[in-house]
Amino acid sequence: MPALADLQRDVMRAILSGDAMSTDWLSAPGALPASAALQAHRDTALGGLTNSLRLTFPSIERLVGEVFFDQIVLAYVAIAPPRSADLCAYGRDFPSFLSNHAPAAALAYLADVARLDWAIARALGGPSEARRRDLSIDLDTVLSVPTALTVSRFDHPAAAIRAALDAGDDAALGNIDLEPRPRFVAVWRSVRLAVTRELAAPAGVFLTALLDGRGGDDALAAALAVAPPGAALAAIRSDIFEASFAQITISSRTTP
Amino acid sequence: MIRVPSDRGDARDAAPILATAGIGLRFPHHGCVLEQRPDVAWFEVHPENYLGEGVAADILGAVCNHYPISLHATGLSLGSAEGVDAVHLAAIAALCERIEPGLVSDHLSWSAAAGVHAPDLLPLPYTDEALEVFARNVEQVQDALGRTILIENPSVYIGFAEATMSEGAFLARLVGLTGCGVLLDVNNVAVSAGNLGEAPARRLHGLLEALPADAIGEIHLAGHAVRELPGGGHIRIDDHGSRVSDGVWRLFETTVEHIGARPTLIEWDTGIPELAVLREEAAKAQLVLDRAIDPAWRQVVARAG
Repeated sequence: MPALADLQRDVMRAILSGDAMSTDWLSAPGALPASAALQAHRDTALGGLTNSLRLTFPSIERLVGEVFFDQIVLAYVAIAPPRSADLCAYGRDFPSFLSNHAPAAALAYLADVARLDWAIARALGGPSEARRRDLSIDLDTVLSVPTALTVSRFDHPAAAIRAALDAGDDAALGNIDLEPRPRFVAVWRSVRLAVTRELAAPAGVFLTALLDGRGGDDALAAALAVAPPGAALAAIRSDIFEASFAQITISSRTTP
Repeated sequence: MIRVPSDRGDARDAAPILATAGIGLRFPHHGCVLEQRPDVAWFEVHPENYLGEGVAADILGAVCNHYPISLHATGLSLGSAEGVDAVHLAAIAALCERIEPGLVSDHLSWSAAAGVHAPDLLPLPYTDEALEVFARNVEQVQDALGRTILIENPSVYIGFAEATMSEGAFLARLVGLTGCGVLLDVNNVAVSAGNLGEAPARRLHGLLEALPADAIGEIHLAGHAVRELPGGGHIRIDDHGSRVSDGVWRLFETTVEHIGARPTLIEWDTGIPELAVLREEAAKAQLVLDRAIDPAWRQVVARAG
């Protein structure tokens, strides 16, 4: 029998990749065939990973069906097995895997929907909106947002697709405009639910810049680069300053 | 009874888990438990599902205000030759600090090798080398948590030709080396015996004879599946997806007769039914525990018999 570390490496490869391994040392009187035992472990491990990814990426399974989803997971696990027992954190690069997965190439929007699923899963695993972070716009103005707030930019209508899937609304799903163009979605957690809100492009780039730690001037410049001033300012006001997730505070400094 | 919490400086205000029947808390029952607060002696949770500060962690925080909690880890991979994942251990320790569980346990198995983690409880060869590795890892975990933990006998699908000791002997030596306790999973005894071609009662007796009774700090009960193999024969799968079988109930009664009443968990992880079904199973387990605890009840049963 090999040393324990070697044995465990071989078993792990056999279970997650289906690689053949020597099983002479596995046999024992009265025991099951080694192949049946290893298959039972492989079924359990792959089943656990599939369930974990199904919970994190529910929209993907709904879009492609259970059988195709299981095939995708098998291919993904073979090249990106989990590195931790915290399976809630497994699947970070699943969206980019999907974008390069040839059998799914016809579904151009799939990777974006997976990125939104991931953002929602992370929001649910993060602090509630009661936990805040302050984003400085200028010396007097602070925008308070949920600590777990993220803004994602998509080329495809990921939020509309997820909403239609969540509602089980096939008609709405069929009517979604799939034309690629920039779309921004803010995601955060309320008490027990993840909340998503689509932002107009100027608001999306403005908030993204603030979350990246760039100041208000840079953020405004980014917004003005994607829309005329009037439209940009109106979008920032309605989608951010007046949004339920944000609170703006303007302090009055005393001048000497 | 096992020293849980132990003399390592344990969770200060941990709600104790008495020799009663508890239930595994699973996601479909969160709402019901929080809203209706059913009469359940204690809940067991897998800490890997409640790490961090998300919704699940909030829910567990609310549940542990009303019920004692047992943390039953599945991912510490105590049998890994490469050691315990320090990041994961720190996350488990933080959760322990936050909810102060009455019991903490994991399995006599491994799940990680070459930096890769598989969500399964993989079998260890019961050798001196594996014992040394396991004891070292248990010590590391117990030091990090500041308490002793319980180690569960696993469901095994295969034996190792070069194993040098029985499962019971391995666990007994582990208890001696580390001061840990044992979580005796009676369903796993039945599953392992079936897969290794042994008589379940004989395997159970082997464990009970090898282990000091006071080292056994918790008992698990669950259902398992029996599947036909393509080439003939059967395999028992520890799927926790059905009621406890009659055979496992008999093993449980034997266990309680030998060691007395212990905190006993009804596990159900696949095809999870209504909470009422789990409570029925827990009530059945509680009857067995009550008989062991209450001498008057034992006399009633004796007279009736």
